[in-house]
Order: sequence, then structure tokens, then C-alpha cells
Amino acid sequence: MESWVINFLTIAMFFYIASFLLYIVRLLKGPTISDMVLAIDALGYDLAAFLIILSILFRNPILIPCSIVLTLWIYALDIYVAKYLEAKEMSE
Amino acid sequence: MLELADLIFIMLGISALLSVPATILAVISRDLLKALIFSALQSTMYTLMFFLLMAPDIVLVYIAVSIGFMSLLIILIIKKVGRYERY
Amino acid sequence: MNMDVELINWIVIIIGQILITIGVFCDFVAALLMIRFPNFYIRLHALTIGSIGGAVVPAVGAALIAIGSPFLGTFRWFLAGGALVVALFIFILGGAGSHAIARATYRAKIVEYRPCYIDQLAEDIGEDGC
Repeated sequence: MESWVINFLTIAMFFYIASFLLYIVRLLKGPTISDMVLAIDALGYDLAAFLIILSILFRNPILIPCSIVLTLWIYALDIYVAKYLEAKEMSE
Repeated sequence: MLELADLIFIMLGISALLSVPATILAVISRDLLKALIFSALQSTMYTLMFFLLMAPDIVLVYIAVSIGFMSLLIILIIKKVGRYERY
Repeated sequence: MNMDVELINWIVIIIGQILITIGVFCDFVAALLMIRFPNFYIRLHALTIGSIGGAVVPAVGAALIAIGSPFLGTFRWFLAGGALVVALFIFILGGAGSHAIARATYRAKIVEYRPCYIDQLAEDIGEDGC
């Protein structure tokens, strides 16, 4: 049972790393600021799911609160940029 | 067959290499808001590195400071100073 | 008695692996679509695939795998609860964040809204639509 689960999660890790690289390509060449915020949003949420899989792979369940904190602060970055763009539209 | 330790070192190398162009672009970018997003990418990569090095306490503090408080302060300053760098 | 526990563990692990497979597929498709889509308002669809299909579903699957695998020790219940909390947070915050950034982008007129078939928000504000 143990080797079956570990092998499956090890194979699933490669697809996650590939999709992280594709998200980073969009973040580096995004034409406007909104596309970059969108890319780092998706990158952060997928990284939060990836850290759960890694904490199963390491056999160390104490590592799970990192994922909760990462989710909440990525959302905070999103809201900051949205408030900045909207406040600039309101004042001018 | 790859061991788990090899995969950990490969992921460390990839995330360390990806944080270098993010830092360079954050330094040379004229648009300060884009520089903030590049800095957030660099801190996300460092989060993955700290997690792979088995330091969850540093991850908890580093995310809060580097993604949360630093971007809040920089956006408050950009509101005062203006978005585009001119000289 | 022992065989029953073993069987239930296997069933829970297989369900979790099916969920993680769906999540990995959705994640890879979302990353490809984030490259291929031409416009910001269309890329919002890729973000929704990536956050709901690529993060919520694998988090629930990882929670089921952690419940069904006894080699993780007693703390596997802690891992399962944390994974479910992460799934709930992403389920709420992913939609809220994408709506906030789309509204700010539309109000600040950063990206041109094109192709435009119907624009009811502009009619509500008072501007003319398409």
C-alpha cells in the first residue's frame, strides 16, 4: 500500500511542475498588470495543493499549516492590487 | 529510477533558477506595480524552497512578511509616489 | 475485523487517487489554456479551471489518501483536516479574488472588452454598450 501511494504521488508531481512552468511563462510575458495578477493567483492556489501532496510524500503531517497561510496571503495580494486599480479610477 | 531525494534537489534547483530572472526583472522594471508582482513571484519560489528544506516555521513567517506586509506597504507608497518610474 | 479495515482503506485510497488524477488533468489543461487564450476576460475561465478543478479537487483527494494510509501515523487526521480546510478556503477565495480583479480591470479600462456581444454593466453605469 505504501509504495503504491508514494509512486502515484511521485508521478503526479511531474505534471504539477510542468504546469507551474507554463504559468510562469504567462506571468513573465503578460501584456497587462491584470494578466500577471491572474497568473500568480493560479500559481499560488496550485502551489497550496502541491504542498499538501508533498507533506504526504515526506510522511510528515506537521507541515500542513504552510498551505493554509499561503492560500490566505495570495488572496490578500489579489485584493490589494484590485483596490489600487479601482481607487485610481475613482479619484481621477 | 529516481529516488525522492533526487526529486527534491531537482525541484530546489528549478525554483532557485526561476527566482533569479524574477529578481532581475523586479530590479530593472520601469512599472513599479509589475516590479511588485515579480517580487511576489520570487517570494513564492522561496516559499517552495524553504518548504523543501523542511523549515515550516520560516515558511509561516516569510509568507506573511514577503507577500502580505511588504506588498501592502509598497502599494501604499505607490499611491503616493506614482506608478511609473521617471528620471 | 482486520481485513475489513484494510478493504475500507483501499477503497478510500482509490477514490482519492481518482480525484487527484482529475485534478492533475484540470491543472495541466488550465496551464495550457492560460498560454493559449487571447484576452484577459477569456483567461478568467482558465483561472477558474486552475483554482477549482486544479486545487480544490486534489486537496479533497489528498485528504482521502491521508485518511486511508496508516503509515503516516496518528497525525494523519490532522493532515486530512488541514487539507479539507484548504479546499474550503480555495473554494471561497478563488472565486472572490477573480471577481475582484475582473471588476477592477473593467472599471479602470485597462483591457479593451472585445469581442463584445452584450455589455449590461455599461448600460447600468450609464455609458453606451457595444
